[in-house]
Amino acid sequence: MTEAQSNLTIENPKMSARDVKVFYGEKQAIKGVSIDVDMDNVTAFIGPSGCGKSTFLRTLNRMNDTVASARVEGEITLDGEDIYAPSMDVVQLRARVGMVFQKPNPFPKSIYENIAYGPRIHGLAASKTDMDVIVEKSLRRAGLWDEVKDRLHDSGTALSGGQQQRLCIGRAIAVEPEVILMDEPCSALDPIATAKIEELIHELRGRYAIVIVTHNMQQAARVSQRTAFFHLGELVEYGVTSDIFTNPRQERTKDYITGRYG
Amino acid sequence: MSLLSQAISDPEYPMSRPTRLPTDWKSDVMRKRIARRYAAERRFRLLGMGAVLLSAAFLAFLLVTMMGNGLRGFTRTEIALKVDFPASPLLLDPATITDEALSQANLPMVTGAVAKKALGGDADVLLSPTAWISIRDAIKADPKILGRTETIRVPASTAIDLAAKSKGSPEAEAEVARLKQLGVLSTGFNWNFLTASDGTDPTQVGIWGAFKGSLLTMLVTLVLSFPVGVATALYLEEYAPKAWWTDIIEVSINNLAAVPSIIFGLLGLSIFLNFLHLPRSAALIGGMTLALMTMPVIVIAGRNAIKSVPPSIRDAALGIGASPVQVVFQHVLPLALPGILTGTIIGMARALGETAPLLMIGMRAFIATPPGGITDPATVLPVQIFLWSDEVSKGFVEKTSAAIIVLLIFLLAMNGLAIYLRNKFETRW
Repeated sequence: MTEAQSNLTIENPKMSARDVKVFYGEKQAIKGVSIDVDMDNVTAFIGPSGCGKSTFLRTLNRMNDTVASARVEGEITLDGEDIYAPSMDVVQLRARVGMVFQKPNPFPKSIYENIAYGPRIHGLAASKTDMDVIVEKSLRRAGLWDEVKDRLHDSGTALSGGQQQRLCIGRAIAVEPEVILMDEPCSALDPIATAKIEELIHELRGRYAIVIVTHNMQQAARVSQRTAFFHLGELVEYGVTSDIFTNPRQERTKDYITGRYG
Repeated sequence: MSLLSQAISDPEYPMSRPTRLPTDWKSDVMRKRIARRYAAERRFRLLGMGAVLLSAAFLAFLLVTMMGNGLRGFTRTEIALKVDFPASPLLLDPATITDEALSQANLPMVTGAVAKKALGGDADVLLSPTAWISIRDAIKADPKILGRTETIRVPASTAIDLAAKSKGSPEAEAEVARLKQLGVLSTGFNWNFLTASDGTDPTQVGIWGAFKGSLLTMLVTLVLSFPVGVATALYLEEYAPKAWWTDIIEVSINNLAAVPSIIFGLLGLSIFLNFLHLPRSAALIGGMTLALMTMPVIVIAGRNAIKSVPPSIRDAALGIGASPVQVVFQHVLPLALPGILTGTIIGMARALGETAPLLMIGMRAFIATPPGGITDPATVLPVQIFLWSDEVSKGFVEKTSAAIIVLLIFLLAMNGLAIYLRNKFETRW
């Protein structure tokens, strides 16, 4: 990490990236990003469209593996373990580093099945009773239990957009991940549903390391304690959220925050 | 300062714009434009309705002709034959009626003699060559009738059958008039048509052998082409790297779907018969040949169905740690299944109606017994239709139409099953 990029040091990072470069074929999308993410804070990635913040987020649980032309260089570790090492099982990695996507994408199955799917494939529930407990706990943590407890066997796709997104968060929580990556989780939601998700992020903080990509600067200011500003595939500045928004050190960060571009 | 604010702050701003009259939405030009637009809409709608009506008329014409000819194929003219068993030259003991005894009793000859006696003259030619079977069945059902006079309904000959149903030769018409006067003529449902196989006389033929052959052939085709087609589609969509060789495979499969079916027949002939020496004329070979033809259709439909599964579902499953195989079999395949089934049914329907490739592998043989298994010689419905349409005897015309009706019913049943399955697996979003 070059000193210009960061104005904070993180002890005991949960995940850390060192000089990560991502290429799509010939095109370089990420140009040497180094960043640490810790357990106790919510980290927000902000930046204009196409700056690479989502691409970088997807390298953290190797979702870029599904893109044939994508190539990742550099080192990313989870608890000091290289996640791109051959010994790392990508299926297990994704169970430990869960993801919530931009558009709510529940499975076209019942609410119960949506939550139960992850624990079932990873063998986390020994019995039906276990599974019921996991489903209830996950839905409670996702703040959805009271709304759906009477219709657990209705289709997950029949819920409203905000409820669907909380269902997706519940689905990610159900496999007990250590890190939750959120890729613009509110961009398809109305303000009330957005407020509920933000509230939920507050409640989940500390239990999971949370990284959220957002194009909404107010949201970053509201939900995060650490903010990283990306521009043109580079990490321009990374620091305590309040510092980034009130006292940015880099000219480009200042320009973006004050609305000169984006 | 932006260009806009510059422009606004220009004192000449309103003047610098070119003057433009407000649009007159009620002018003649506008009205004409609207009228033209409406006329175009009307023309297009009429054209569409015309096309629908035309195709409906063709369909109605087809159905009416088929039904008109074909339904007669399901009935037969019967002659009530009074059989005086004690007086007949039949030497049978009512106490020991066995199949062997019946076959040695020379029933055809006896039947002819009985007919001559009951109806006079050369009455034996009025009966179908299979008339004796009715008498045999009657004796089998109740041996006691051998001791008395009994009236048994036996099928009439083709000439009488035709003359009674519609129009026959003058001689046959005269005979029919005479028989009607005797009050022995009646019309019955031709069960024989549904239970018998091919034969030499139109009154004795049935569709069961060809139907069973079609059923077995379709079964072989489905069992071979569905799993292979779906697996190919899944591999090409989900696993295969985008490389030059996958492009070649894709182009080849698309081409295969368009290859004339007789080519597949030649392929089947040279590989399955000449090289592998599998049994000729069997449903197994027919099914394998048709599977070659059906598979590309399933692959293409399957790939399209798999492509249309939203990528967000794959992301969702991968994101909570599902392995690629789990993603494919627990999420992608169930969602793609309705589309795959639609493609399969299109392919199977085409295979069911196929004649040419089956002619090449010897399924056009005269087969008078229904196949017992997939390795027995068999024929299929379209080939049977083709064979009967070639027959000289006039009685085969209505049998051909009746066979077409059976084929259509088979097809409808198959489509109905597919639609049921598709709706069952359809996921409501």
